[in-house]
Amino acid sequence: MRLVWKAALWAFLLIAAFLTLFPILVTILGSFKTNAELTAGATILPSSWQFNNYVEAWRQAKFSTYTFNSLFVSVASTLGILLVSSMAAYVVDRMAFPGKRLYVGMQAFTMFVAIGAVVLRPQFELMIRLHLHDSLWGVVLILISAHASAFFILYSFMSGIPKDLDEAALIDGCSRGRTFLQLIVPLLTPGLGVCALFAFRGAWNEYLLPFVFTLSKPQLQTLTVGLASLKYGISAASQTHLMMAGACLSILPMLAVYLFANRSFMQMTAGSLKG
Amino acid sequence: MRKSKELAFSYGFLLPSLSLTLILGIYPIAWAMRYMFYDYKGFGKKTFIGLDNFARVMRDGEFWHSVANTFAYAGGKLALSIPLALLLAVVLNRGLRGRHILRAVFFLPTIVSTAVMAVVFFAIFNAYNGVLNQFLLKYKLIGGAVDWLGADHAMLTVVLVSVWGAVGNYMLLFLAGLQNIPADVYESASLDGANKLQQFRYVTIPMLGPVMQMIVMLAIINALKGYESIMVLTDGGPIGKTNVMFLYVYKLFFPTAGTGAASQIQEMGYGSAVSFVTAIIVGLITALYYFGSKRMNRYA
Repeated sequence: MRLVWKAALWAFLLIAAFLTLFPILVTILGSFKTNAELTAGATILPSSWQFNNYVEAWRQAKFSTYTFNSLFVSVASTLGILLVSSMAAYVVDRMAFPGKRLYVGMQAFTMFVAIGAVVLRPQFELMIRLHLHDSLWGVVLILISAHASAFFILYSFMSGIPKDLDEAALIDGCSRGRTFLQLIVPLLTPGLGVCALFAFRGAWNEYLLPFVFTLSKPQLQTLTVGLASLKYGISAASQTHLMMAGACLSILPMLAVYLFANRSFMQMTAGSLKG
Repeated sequence: MRKSKELAFSYGFLLPSLSLTLILGIYPIAWAMRYMFYDYKGFGKKTFIGLDNFARVMRDGEFWHSVANTFAYAGGKLALSIPLALLLAVVLNRGLRGRHILRAVFFLPTIVSTAVMAVVFFAIFNAYNGVLNQFLLKYKLIGGAVDWLGADHAMLTVVLVSVWGAVGNYMLLFLAGLQNIPADVYESASLDGANKLQQFRYVTIPMLGPVMQMIVMLAIINALKGYESIMVLTDGGPIGKTNVMFLYVYKLFFPTAGTGAASQIQEMGYGSAVSFVTAIIVGLITALYYFGSKRMNRYA
């Protein structure tokens, strides 16, 4: 009886794992097939490995441009989110000032009230007025503006750092700004790491925002946008192999980060539930 | 003197966050709230028309069709992903060999962008040269090509794709909740003669209650709001079968951005009113769930 249970359990787990991995395997293996072999569908392993697909995707399908754009958007917005939200979290946790509750309430509001694509339009118009609609800086700024969750994570980490520490520094004649930079920021590293991962993952995977901003400027497309646009290419049917190679290129960096930090990543994600 | 310096420091440090939130977070919402009372196509005249936009929402069959689609999509996604995630979490919370690898496997899809994943699934599911159909045909598992993204199956396909992307996330959250249940509770339960199934019913479920309530609420909000993958996979089609309400709103603002559907006119005023109604629908359902599940917890 126990054995039957155990067998059923493992069968369930293996089927679930197979279904989870299947699309990823199809993508990875498909990225090495010729287009003809891919769309004929019947093989699992490529009959001959077409490493050329990657070269073609990188050059012809402009994945080098997309990758650069994605990196720029992700790195810039991650740094921005960390800076802006750690400064705010420090002030809100450590200082007393009128309007504090209003500020915290506002952050909670922006996190919970979502009205969908409607905000994209005024955001886009604002960027036209700032002359940032022709660059990716507009996308970066909008991504940074959505830093409420980073703020709340850092706020909870901040309250875990004893206040005596910065009071001692202040008595020793250290200015508030220097205390923040030289004392608080190093102590906040674990929290900053969590936020950086989330912010980077969010920006790297963002689709709608860069899509809207690059509608008339394909040279600014990010990986997710450029890849999706391949689907609607002139000869969509003949590009499936490039789509697969492109998908692999766009997953790879996140996969590397994830495998590298798998253990701590899982723990951090789990830990954020309590925060 | 010192006090005013501290205040200046506080506001100075808060300024970047505050200004960004106000300008790019709050102002756009206020913008929409204003235009929902206007007839405004995105250019030219802006005419104040009071509540006319809302009257139009009530009569807009296509919108309510998209609301029905949203419920079908969200309902299907939740009904599949939550039980599956809970089951995987419970199983992988045990001292099973290889559980770390399996956790990593199930979490893998959540690091893939929904847009990228939709492109991949498009290549797998499309009727004419999709990988799945070719494979099934080759081994004679189906008689003719199945139109996975056609009118009959599109919603199911879209739901399955979203479940694939979501299960790992909820599994991880459930795991975090499970790990907060002390092991000795299970020990005493098994000493009292409770079997595994009874332990699950009388220990796991009640103790997981608050965490579960939060996870399900997050899942409801996400399911009602999700449309990126649908946009890439089917663009709401065919014949509006997978058009969900957030996608409907999107198309009122960016009518030419989509590819398949016939382009319509930009409707900024009306779109604002529709998005306001969608926000109320999402809020209402979330509130209903929240208070409903609270009451259930009390009687459990």
